Amino acid sequence: MTQAIDTTIYAAVSEAIQGEAQRILSAGEVTAIVGYATARRKGSAQPIVITNADDAQKLIFTPACVNNLAVYLTKAKKEIPKQGKIGIVVKGCDLKALAGLMGESQLKREQLYLIGVPCAGVLASTIQPDTQLTADTIAPKCTECDAHLPQGCDFVPAQTPVTPELEKKYAAEIARLEALTPKERWAYWKEQFSKCIKCYACRQVCPFCFCEQCLCDRNKPQMVDTTPRPAGNTAWHIVRAMHLAGRCAGCAECERVCPMDIPLNLLNRKMAKELKELYDYEAGFQVNENGPLNSYTEKDDQSFIK
Amino acid sequence: MQKHITQQNLNTLLDTLIKEGKRVVAPRLNAGTPLYEPLTSSAEMITDQLPKRSGKEAFFPLCEDIMSYEKEGQQIKLTDIDPARFPETVLVGVRPCDAAAIPVLDAVFSWDYKDEFFLERRNKTTVVGVACTTADDACFCTAVGLSPSDTKGSDLFLTPLEGGGYHCETQSEKGEALINSHQELFSEPNGSKTVPLARPQTEKFDLEKVKKWLDEHFEDPAWDSIATRCVGCGACAFVCPACHCFDIVDEGTEKSGKRRKNWDACGFWKFTHHASGHNPRDGQPKRYRNRIMHKFKYYDDKFGQTLCTGCGRCIRLCPVGIDIAQIVEELNKK
Ligand code: SF4
Ligand code: SF4
Ligand code: SF4
Ligand code: SF4
Ligand code: SF4
Repeated sequence: MTQAIDTTIYAAVSEAIQGEAQRILSAGEVTAIVGYATARRKGSAQPIVITNADDAQKLIFTPACVNNLAVYLTKAKKEIPKQGKIGIVVKGCDLKALAGLMGESQLKREQLYLIGVPCAGVLASTIQPDTQLTADTIAPKCTECDAHLPQGCDFVPAQTPVTPELEKKYAAEIARLEALTPKERWAYWKEQFSKCIKCYACRQVCPFCFCEQCLCDRNKPQMVDTTPRPAGNTAWHIVRAMHLAGRCAGCAECERVCPMDIPLNLLNRKMAKELKELYDYEAGFQVNENGPLNSYTEKDDQSFIK
Repeated sequence: MQKHITQQNLNTLLDTLIKEGKRVVAPRLNAGTPLYEPLTSSAEMITDQLPKRSGKEAFFPLCEDIMSYEKEGQQIKLTDIDPARFPETVLVGVRPCDAAAIPVLDAVFSWDYKDEFFLERRNKTTVVGVACTTADDACFCTAVGLSPSDTKGSDLFLTPLEGGGYHCETQSEKGEALINSHQELFSEPNGSKTVPLARPQTEKFDLEKVKKWLDEHFEDPAWDSIATRCVGCGACAFVCPACHCFDIVDEGTEKSGKRRKNWDACGFWKFTHHASGHNPRDGQPKRYRNRIMHKFKYYDDKFGQTLCTGCGRCIRLCPVGIDIAQIVEELNKK
């Protein structure tokens, strides 16, 4: 019997979100709110943008509210109107992405109304959304979360999430990979990358993949092979991991959406680990305009210059 | 022709076909992910999971070389691919929603231009379909006029029997030829009952009514509410058994390289991006509208078929929960 995760507070959290959404929309404090709503399949949830106070009652928070909605506020999502102040429902991990976007001058705090969610965890996958949240089905990121209660928001429902100690899934897997020889490790990633179909779902959901034209989409000149073959796949995965190093907020959306089950967040977590060791940097709630790879200090590690 | 085959004899059949040099493609696990892939042994075949990608790639691979070039001095040598070298294939364990998509694809690949890459593989492949015993709430084959026991696209159709093994029913000469080539492995039906099949819950769509609405609503506010949240990836098209768009690129160096064909998707912004910089589909709602229009109107206008078999893959795998069954259900009510 696997350990169930207590999500009983989510009903009260949903109600509180609805109340606040209703209030800020009717008071004209925001022009729109990006949140989650139920969908057709049992247990499912989907992102929704509401502009009308009457729609506030559609908003929910459940274990299927997996999306990092920050992606909708980036310049890459032109379809979402960005006039005035916008409300957004954020879990702690999503809030780190918003802080990162502010640090990169993509968003301004005063344009946002942050509705934080006290979160015990969400599902690793919503392929079957009607799944109970347990130690087995919970998203690996939630087993290592230090952001169950988002801070610095405009509104956070009063409930306190129950967050049992769980086995840290990424740490365990990274330790396993680190113990392999480089040859074995390469064999592991080669096999994983061989499944990539270049659907770019990982890129499209990432709040930090807001480049108007991705290097990997360019053809004048062609920087990277576009076909889903070993050369192009390896290039894509290296570009993705490196361009997100020091920026990735750890939401794990890239990994969740990969239709081919490629454990992309392991690469991100490994990069995060290196950045912690080298620059004492970690993604957090604080807005930091001097990202670890965007700034230079004399204390920076120089050992790689030979 | 109706026969029975035991699980053990089916395995023997597949292993024999592999030994004979045939390419046997069936659901198997690749680094934990179920996919239709060539087997090296029948032991690799899995039957309990719907592959994440569809069976179309037995004919229409994710990526294939279509030509190669070499340049020496002023001499340029072009070498075509010889489709005659494509292997004889048996595609086994294909779900009805995947098998039914094959004749749908035949229409487009043999229309004004005969795509020899697709057609040669198609001619050389025998499709062995299998009835579904489980369905989830993303499955909607029954809503688009198919079913868990639909034999469309199969040359031989298997239905699991109580107590193991399969009932086999031939659907074409290819299916008969497969049985005849290894008759000793099959037996006469012995009265064992087939197991109860899956029952997808979605109600049948009135596809004519849906099409009629689409005929008249190229411009409609519904597209915004349906797809403003679409993030513009290729997931829905790439996992779909019926989507068939591709892109052609040259890869290599100045000296030598290959011309390659690989899957494309109308969800990508680049799909309709003109060289001038103009993009007639300038936002996800317009791109997603194309997906629905192509599946439930354009393909019907041209070929009299629906470009969706209700496999539910795009529903399960869309990063933002866009649910094509819900959308068509709602259009059906308009
Ligand atoms: S790289 Fe992945 S984990 Fe990091 S911010 Fe982007 S989607 Fe989230
Ligand atoms: S989501 Fe997965 S399959 Fe798609 S491009 Fe990214 S890694 Fe490749
Ligand atoms: S459109 Fe979706 S449900 Fe229909 S056949 Fe394609 S993947 Fe399956
Ligand atoms: S729906 Fe889109 S990707 Fe699929 S076949 Fe049609 S145009 Fe191509
Ligand atoms: S509908 Fe979903 S899977 Fe398809 S392009 Fe949009 S986000 Fe991607």
